[in-house]
Amino acid sequence: MAVLTNHPIYKRISRIPPAYFIFIGLLVLLWIARPHMLNVNIMGIFIRQVVPLGILVLGQLLVIRVNSIDLSGAGVLLLINFYISSGMFAGASLSFFIALSLATGLTVGLLNGYLVGKRRVSAVIATLAVNIVLVGIVQFLASGKPPGDVPSTFNEIYNTKVWLVPAPVVFWIVLTALMSIFLSRFVFGRNVVSVGANPVAARFSGVPVERTVILSHTIAGLMTALASLVQTASIAVGSVRVGHDLPILAVAATILGGVVFGRGEGGVWGPFFGVLSFALLFVVMTTFGIGEPGKLVAQGVIILAAAIFYGVRTAGSQS
Amino acid sequence: MKTTLIRLINGQDRRQGRWVFAFLIALAIVVWLGLSTGQFLTAENLLNLVAQAMPLIITAIGMMLVVLVGGLDLSVGSVISFTTAVLALGAPGIVSIPGVFILAALIGLVNGIAVTRLNVHPIIATLSMSYIVLGITRILRPVSGGDVPQVVIDAVAGSFLGIPLPVFWGVLTILLAWKIIHGSRFGLHLFAIGGGIASGTEDAARNFGVADKRDTLLAYVGCSCFASLAGIFLAGRIVSGDPNVGLLFELDAITAVAIGGTQLSGGVGSLHGTIIGAVVMALLANGMNLANISPFVQTAIKGAILLLVVGLQSRKKMGL
Repeated sequence: MAVLTNHPIYKRISRIPPAYFIFIGLLVLLWIARPHMLNVNIMGIFIRQVVPLGILVLGQLLVIRVNSIDLSGAGVLLLINFYISSGMFAGASLSFFIALSLATGLTVGLLNGYLVGKRRVSAVIATLAVNIVLVGIVQFLASGKPPGDVPSTFNEIYNTKVWLVPAPVVFWIVLTALMSIFLSRFVFGRNVVSVGANPVAARFSGVPVERTVILSHTIAGLMTALASLVQTASIAVGSVRVGHDLPILAVAATILGGVVFGRGEGGVWGPFFGVLSFALLFVVMTTFGIGEPGKLVAQGVIILAAAIFYGVRTAGSQS
Repeated sequence: MKTTLIRLINGQDRRQGRWVFAFLIALAIVVWLGLSTGQFLTAENLLNLVAQAMPLIITAIGMMLVVLVGGLDLSVGSVISFTTAVLALGAPGIVSIPGVFILAALIGLVNGIAVTRLNVHPIIATLSMSYIVLGITRILRPVSGGDVPQVVIDAVAGSFLGIPLPVFWGVLTILLAWKIIHGSRFGLHLFAIGGGIASGTEDAARNFGVADKRDTLLAYVGCSCFASLAGIFLAGRIVSGDPNVGLLFELDAITAVAIGGTQLSGGVGSLHGTIIGAVVMALLANGMNLANISPFVQTAIKGAILLLVVGLQSRKKMGL
């Protein structure tokens, strides 16, 4: 084992995030089994479905890199969906909803950041608790029933295309590129790397550790708000169940994409392909007629396998 | 006496955690419910309360084992649902009861191996396990139903010497758990391993000759087995297999453990604290039901309590 793990080729390959292998593997599988699925229109529709997940991942990868996690996404998603679909703000303009959503995401992100960064609460518990509170509030307001319809403007934007590519997909790619530039060209990106690599060393080196953690959570909150807007536009109706497993999938996609808890390393495009892998996985499972329980098992196995891949690699590099 | 009390309330009894605070909360709720509603202090309601609290007490005790070593098990809810689904398959009790324990131990074993040997973060390992187990549960039993062995139903519903059986479940589980946590070398080692992790010297226990990886692995196995025991109890109560019965149990268990003064970073906690924590949760649910509070608001209140309790637990380390 040690001979194999110390081999330079193994080391080179083990640096590539598993997302790329899974993406290519699924693509080949589709190409062999269902070649007619591989056309721009069909793929566009499937990829459009994972855009909310993709945007959520942009925030999740930030918090995971600073050794935190954000599991409050489902609550924010429900709350924003409720604002828009319940008729609570009937007749309000699109910009009002966007502003309200961003403000919500910002508030929840700041709260998470304060709890994790300042109060040093366990990030899993804190964000899960925030999630439970938000879900409880929305379900109480909606009394368990799905609210009404979403204004048609949302759906119109969602259905437009830029050349052949659906607008949400373009939005996602642009956002990912912006995040990539933000992390590689700005001081904040360097701070994220150093806090993730070693928070104690970072503090002694004058890196504002707490501020970096709080800012990461705040950006994650904003990303959740954007993801909620796209998600709401896509389903076009109010729902009290929508997106409850998105935050977990976002964690999974982030890990598939080569971002590991508290190691500071990993880029933006690895998780991007992690999300695309999920899109393909859903295509493959749908075309092979695998039901909901089978999908759950497959998700679990893939997350565990990716985590084990990284765990073994980390153990190998330590010894 | 007075100084002992002050020391206990301030949590200076370091290894046991701040359980006195939870005890006072429990006492306050009992007094409030006893005074405000006539139904609360009836024998029927109190018995109901014991039976309601029992699955959470059992699950929380298991959760405490992994929390003591600085871990977390998010798969216990799925294990509970899974246990009821397997029991409801219609096999005779003599086969299915040992069967569910073996399956639960295997689930715990995989969690433990992933965490200790393959270096996977406990949250990721147990979360993916919860997906896998939930998926299998839904394949076995898409909707609630099936035949639970009569022996399981009798073990929960009946009474012995005039005392209802859930009381015996409680006494036996607590004795077993006391033996494991406070009465064995294994239990002592859990405190040592977790204490080292919480203070940032992860190999402290190992340097004193504790088999830290083996004991951590056994903590995960124990956690799953306790969850499975809770599942058997629940199956007896609802008389069917239900793929959703364990939903959110892991959060209630974590909340109970945290309320009971166990530090989520590891090494600090006590069995009586955990039991008190679970009782507080059950009392709250009971009280909110008696006060006719909507189940959705109850969810939100539970979340707020969890947030408050862990918000008061300051840690040295930032992050997960």
